[in-house]
Amino acid sequence: TSSVLSKDKDTSAASKESTPEGAAKRQEERAGTPKQHLLDIIGNMKVEVSYRKKLQQLKASESKKQAMNELEGLDSEGSVPQGITEDTQRGKPLNPELVKAASAVASSLPHNKKQTVSDLLAQLRRHEETTDKQKKGGTVNIRNVISEMTVKRQSPAQRGARISGRISLQLDEDGRRTRPARSSAQSVLRNTKYRFSFLVYRSLKVGKRLNIFTKASTEPEHALKTVSSPTIWDLEFAKEVAAVTAQPPRNGFEEMIQWTKEGILWEFPIDNEVGMEDDAEFHEHIFLEKHLEGFPKEGPIRHFMELVICGLSKNPYLSVKQKVEHIEWFQKYFEEKKELLQEI
Amino acid sequence: MAARRVGAGCWQRALWLGRRCRLPGGRESCRSSSSSTALGKTVDNSQVTQEEIVLPRRKTWDKLAVLQTLASTVNKDPTAAHYMFQDDPFLMPRNAANSRLYSLSKESGRNAAKYIIKNFPQYFDKTFAEPNVPCLMPESLTPQTKGVSEEALRERIHLRMVKESVDMFDQLQQGGTPVSLETTNSLLDLLCFYGDGEPTPENEQEEKEDLEEPEVNASEQKAPKRQFQRRSQSSGPRWRENNHAERIFKIMPERNAHSYCTMIRGMVKHGAYSKAYDMYIDLLNERHKADVHTFNALIRAAPYLKERFVERWELAKDFLTHMAQQKVQPTLLTFNSVLKSLRRCGGVGRTMSLLVLKEMEALDIEPSLASYDHLLSMYYKGVDAQSSDIISEVLDEVEKRSFTAQDPDDASFFTTAMQVCCDLKDIKLAYQLNKALEKGDNWKFLDVNQLNGYWSKFFSLLCMMEQIEVVLKWYKEMSYSLFYPGPKNILDLLQALDAANQLEVIPSVWEDVKQLGFSRRQDLLEEFLSLMSRDQHPSEIQLAFAKCAEEIKAVHEPAGPGQVPLEWTGSALGHVVVLFSRAGRIQDAWNMMEHFQKINRIPTDKVMDEFLNCAKQTNCPDEAIKMVKLAASLGLLSSQRLKSRTEEEFELSETQKKALESIKWDGDSSDSDSDSSDSDRE
Repeated sequence: TSSVLSKDKDTSAASKESTPEGAAKRQEERAGTPKQHLLDIIGNMKVEVSYRKKLQQLKASESKKQAMNELEGLDSEGSVPQGITEDTQRGKPLNPELVKAASAVASSLPHNKKQTVSDLLAQLRRHEETTDKQKKGGTVNIRNVISEMTVKRQSPAQRGARISGRISLQLDEDGRRTRPARSSAQSVLRNTKYRFSFLVYRSLKVGKRLNIFTKASTEPEHALKTVSSPTIWDLEFAKEVAAVTAQPPRNGFEEMIQWTKEGILWEFPIDNEVGMEDDAEFHEHIFLEKHLEGFPKEGPIRHFMELVICGLSKNPYLSVKQKVEHIEWFQKYFEEKKELLQEI
Repeated sequence: MAARRVGAGCWQRALWLGRRCRLPGGRESCRSSSSSTALGKTVDNSQVTQEEIVLPRRKTWDKLAVLQTLASTVNKDPTAAHYMFQDDPFLMPRNAANSRLYSLSKESGRNAAKYIIKNFPQYFDKTFAEPNVPCLMPESLTPQTKGVSEEALRERIHLRMVKESVDMFDQLQQGGTPVSLETTNSLLDLLCFYGDGEPTPENEQEEKEDLEEPEVNASEQKAPKRQFQRRSQSSGPRWRENNHAERIFKIMPERNAHSYCTMIRGMVKHGAYSKAYDMYIDLLNERHKADVHTFNALIRAAPYLKERFVERWELAKDFLTHMAQQKVQPTLLTFNSVLKSLRRCGGVGRTMSLLVLKEMEALDIEPSLASYDHLLSMYYKGVDAQSSDIISEVLDEVEKRSFTAQDPDDASFFTTAMQVCCDLKDIKLAYQLNKALEKGDNWKFLDVNQLNGYWSKFFSLLCMMEQIEVVLKWYKEMSYSLFYPGPKNILDLLQALDAANQLEVIPSVWEDVKQLGFSRRQDLLEEFLSLMSRDQHPSEIQLAFAKCAEEIKAVHEPAGPGQVPLEWTGSALGHVVVLFSRAGRIQDAWNMMEHFQKINRIPTDKVMDEFLNCAKQTNCPDEAIKMVKLAASLGLLSSQRLKSRTEEEFELSETQKKALESIKWDGDSSDSDSDSSDSDRE
């Protein structure tokens, strides 16, 4: 029923400007209040308007047709005189005959005609309101019901959750019941099962867990276990899992990746230091000037030694140690021949 | 830039820089190498101020990083066949059968080479590669340790020589040498894994093939069998009573938990489920704890241990409770095993599977594709009342993640899901699934066989649900590069074309069908012919149709030696005649007409009318008379009507009129003949 009600509400909200009440209200408010205020009021009216309309329909269908139709017909046709609607405070027009009678009374009185009319009408209105209320049951109450319904409608997921929660609860009870007398309860469970498989709104997100395990907090134990060498089971399982995603390469690069993994292909990026035995880095191989400290700063020996290190720096086959030894050999050699050289 | 320079670590470049600046190459020196004098100056300055030049440390790269980056730049070419066929353009497969054949032969060549290397290692004693490439060299499979010792036994176990290991163990036992518990356990591992049988060479090869190219693994009849084996977890030999594993287990002086566990796993693997359960009870009695793998195996065995669905679930649940009691933490595989068992628990499974998933969530265990696969097959296989709730939720989950393989069952997810999409006839879900497949490395979960099934299902769904333009676009992009359409896909496509009233595309589809090798499939030919001949089309389309008809006709005629022509059916023959007639090829149409008599079939009225129309258009009264003659000789009721039509519509010469008259007379006289031929026919 909630959908019916709300649908009704929607339509009435959409067409609210055409209803006489709304129009009258707007006329009344247009005089002084700002637009925002007007909108607020209209917004407030929405529910009540629909509620009234709804009740009108219900009433019309129910009973007391004639008497009511008179009143309602006048209401909805909007044939109420302008002067009266101005007086009404909540947009509910009064029976014109009553108004006429009231003004007649007022005119018979000596002073402040207008004030008297409005006083009288206000009293009448109050009177009518209370009777209406008592006739139809509390407005507020029904309004609450409606608003509650719309809340429900807004979140069907929640509702689904609640329903499935309820059902799984039920099932759990069933399951527990079956346990003591397993064989006899089999059919019961099966029945419930079938009933549920068609009724339950199933989802991965809602529902209970098994509640068998608790979350792990025993890390050290795990660490100990993984240390032991893999058994044939582990090896074969790893192979099987790897086979799941081992697809033939889709392009040349993927093929090269595969070859790299197998160790067939030279690794990328091409690295000239691959396979070099000592930990020396390239600059130690190339920049050998620092080993020329012990040589003269200039002259033919210096020139000769610069050529030597130039050659050494281009030689990839010697280790750094060998290169240094090579330089040292020259150093010793020139040291030994120092006298001889000086003679020259 | 700095990274590249250093990363490359190229001697040459560094050298060149060094020479030019006469100074250890730093950051500054590289930036402007154009003027060496200016460089020298700045460098001098830095030396003066004693500024230390920090040489950047070597940057280490993942050896695959560059290749992976490059590979990610390669897009798929929708017109190209799979990469593995691109070595030789001549061997580019054009249909599913060829693709299978070529990939199989490629792989078998590789296997043959491996076989040779493995069996004749003595001929491969030279290492040419520097550094050596171990995977290209023969493995040493002969044990190095001689004599009878535990060391030798261990080596044999490592080399997986089942029989030798058992013999060695027995010798050691007889010699009174105690074998350590650890070695005995690994021997048990070996025996249990292979189910006490030798790891046969075929088996091994199959496994290796699996690793490299799973799709080429087996011929068509073999593939489902293997899958079935996998499903029932009983690959290899069955567990025999009192086999070596049991015997050794019995004579073991002491046993630890591992001994029990490996026995249980072996028994489950080889189908001795109740034995495994008994063994588990023994283990409990000995106050040992089982490990997580053993529990997984036991849970998988649960459906085989009990009859009723509820009891099966209860048993699996008992195992889970035991795990919790023994403080064994469950893994993803545990829950996947539970879900797998629940597949055999009917409706109970459907209800409980959700609880299991919730439990996984509570324990922070992310489901793998296998978990979802089990779930989907529980909910959608053989269940009539289907809703798309579960699968759309599953797809939402899958879409978010890129998966890595964790369970051997992961592979079947995408095929199952696509099947479900097809069953639900939900194209949106299928698109969503496709998107999930494209994410990350998810495509790797489909091997080439599954790929074909997956895409052909998707294509059928497209044909059913999508606009024809979309279908044709997919068709263009998918066929040959993603999959080879099957006969059913072609039928679906034809139906989609028919529904969208785009029959003019049929000739190009026929071209594809010829290439796909379906040109001899009677059902397809029937469909083609009936669609083409149903309505009248503009003349150029009719000409194209007639060409197709001619090719279809050729299939039915003896072509070369060894080729058995297809049998004509009456309807096919009629369609071909209609197609020829509409294209104005009266002579070809008449040739076809004559076939009716040969195969004892009767042309329908429509066919004969079309033929007469054609004869009229091309102004060939002779053919019309022949037609009437044929109809009369077959004793057809409509021959009279045809005759009068011929008389009215054609301008006949005197001889032709006479001929026509004589036919009538013939027809009258041969009434009895045609009757007899009728009875022959029936």
